[in-house]
Amino acid sequence: MARRAIRSSKGEDSFRRIVETCFRSEAGPSVPLPSDTEDLIETGALDSMAWVSFLRAVETASGFSDLGSDLNEQPASIASILAALRSPNKGSLPSRETKKGAAENVSSSAALLTGSSSVHGSRVVPSEEVDRAFGMPVGKLRKRAGIESLAYAGEGESELTLGAKAAEEALRAASCGAQELDWIIATSETHHDYPALAAKLHSRLLVRENCGAMDVGGACLGLPNVLAVAQSLIGSGAARSVAVVTADVHSRVLTPERVAGEFGGLFGDGASAFLLRRQGEASAGSSYRLGELLFGCAGQYAAAIQVAARICGGLDVQFDGEALSRAAITRLEKVITAVETRSGIPRASVGGFATHQPNPRLLTLLAKQCGVSSDAFPPICRTSGNLGSSMCGAALHAVLQSEVRNKADRRKPIFLASLGPGLLFGGGWLTPA
Amino acid sequence: MTNLLITEITRMGPAFCVIGLRRNKEKVQSIRPVPTWVNGWLHFPYQRGEVLDCSLAPICGAPPHVEDRALTREFRRSATIGESDTVAYLRKAECGDSLQSLFECSVYENKRGSGAYALPAEARRSICGCHTQNLRLELCGKELRAILVLSSGELLRDLPVVDRDWLDFVDAALAKNRGANQAARFERFLNSQFHCKIMNCPHHFVRIGLTRPYRDVCWLMLDTLFPLPHTEWLEEF
Repeated sequence: MARRAIRSSKGEDSFRRIVETCFRSEAGPSVPLPSDTEDLIETGALDSMAWVSFLRAVETASGFSDLGSDLNEQPASIASILAALRSPNKGSLPSRETKKGAAENVSSSAALLTGSSSVHGSRVVPSEEVDRAFGMPVGKLRKRAGIESLAYAGEGESELTLGAKAAEEALRAASCGAQELDWIIATSETHHDYPALAAKLHSRLLVRENCGAMDVGGACLGLPNVLAVAQSLIGSGAARSVAVVTADVHSRVLTPERVAGEFGGLFGDGASAFLLRRQGEASAGSSYRLGELLFGCAGQYAAAIQVAARICGGLDVQFDGEALSRAAITRLEKVITAVETRSGIPRASVGGFATHQPNPRLLTLLAKQCGVSSDAFPPICRTSGNLGSSMCGAALHAVLQSEVRNKADRRKPIFLASLGPGLLFGGGWLTPA
Repeated sequence: MTNLLITEITRMGPAFCVIGLRRNKEKVQSIRPVPTWVNGWLHFPYQRGEVLDCSLAPICGAPPHVEDRALTREFRRSATIGESDTVAYLRKAECGDSLQSLFECSVYENKRGSGAYALPAEARRSICGCHTQNLRLELCGKELRAILVLSSGELLRDLPVVDRDWLDFVDAALAKNRGANQAARFERFLNSQFHCKIMNCPHHFVRIGLTRPYRDVCWLMLDTLFPLPHTEWLEEF
């Protein structure tokens, strides 16, 4: 498949925009853009360190991961980069044929998000009570993390019941019958039993027998992961309607007997669900088009959070809160920057940010780091705690709810960004359909 | 008089940066001999594994380059030891198995693009050895970069490779007289035979260094990669 220059409706060459944005980021906004043919290293516009850094930024923003290799026999110039990005000779990922460097570009197999829902554990517990349960000074979670209360699953609630409830509400919101589903894709960081969560949801939702069911991992990155799978199934023509479901019940896993309160006390219980349908299968209405999703793993932060099951039933948790906080803010901001560059949508024009929310304090810090209002981040974690793989989904549902209150022509794009242990990262964007 | 076992020779622009090991009582310590007027050597006719007699004087080097010593008398070669013995000494010098322990400080990622850096005020040294679970070299826009996994499982990506011998090897591999598609052939080598040669070598070892402070940060670099490249490997691709 060929790479091709992508032009937005404004006629802007999106590859050039990406290259120029990344150059300015690397060299500084006051440095004039060099001519296309100027050798950036020979003229000293960039040193070798900055040249590679610039190339990596272009790779991330454009989605072409082998750009640096393409340029091994070319001058270090903007013209070489643009030529490599537009080269028809290299193999490329299937999605690149329909790459939407600009959000307006649409293919016939685009995935539309037509319904959403989020549910939280029904037992709302003040954070002071959680402090006491974990043997921490009363007020620590509120003062240090900004958490006012946590949503815990009530008696009779589980990943299955919360997930099924969210899925039913999402189907209802989209006026879609369960029998129309081709796939259920589930993710959870607390449900480790078999049958797996997707299989249980398959039965609970009474879908067709030949509806597929699949579980996907990634912990807090679970939602972007399931969306990527759903998007691929729809984009390839293998599915028309896909339900993605997240569900987490931390309160029964991260208990005071197993983990320290500084870690376990942060988490609440909840679920989210979204219905994705192929364009043409659903009316646009209040739906949102799922844009590109980008992923990666920043292994330098791998040691900041590690959780492993012990044979005796306990949990080994390595949690370097300070390092993880720093990594989370840095990486989420980097994801948002990459999403902004790739989509061509300025962060200032976004209706809301559906991100992972480790805790309210970090969310405020992230907003500040990104230079946007903290109001653009729905403060789910303040009253429910960190919902794990359901966090991003709960935030996305809240932003969608807020946006659909606006008139169709006033609705704004939504940015998605999340993290998982590893440190996995991912993000993307949605635009009004 | 100091006996210095030369372990690092790195390319820094037109100059070379050199580090050696000296025994200090029970400890083996890294020392960076520098000329009295600059930080690097425009001409350094010695090899790693050579033991050089020299006289060194303490200097007030900018942190974190606490290993700097001024050379007050010319080098004189007194002995040569093999690569595996050199690595055995390196293993006794400064070593770290995690990002935090490399320079006894936090390591930060470049928020704009690639690379990792330490802050001069936080780093306690500028060179450290480490064991790697895995290592790969790649050419990116004609620049040689390393990606490696430390024993801790933490990863360092896009480290500039400044090891003189490895850069000489790359230059030889990409020489015009080697025919067409040199870069592609070299990349194939890096993706195939290279990995076996390096990771299966019993004295595989790397040393990571910090650049001099530049715009308030010190970038991490791959100073040394053992085993060193062999000229005959050029015949394999």
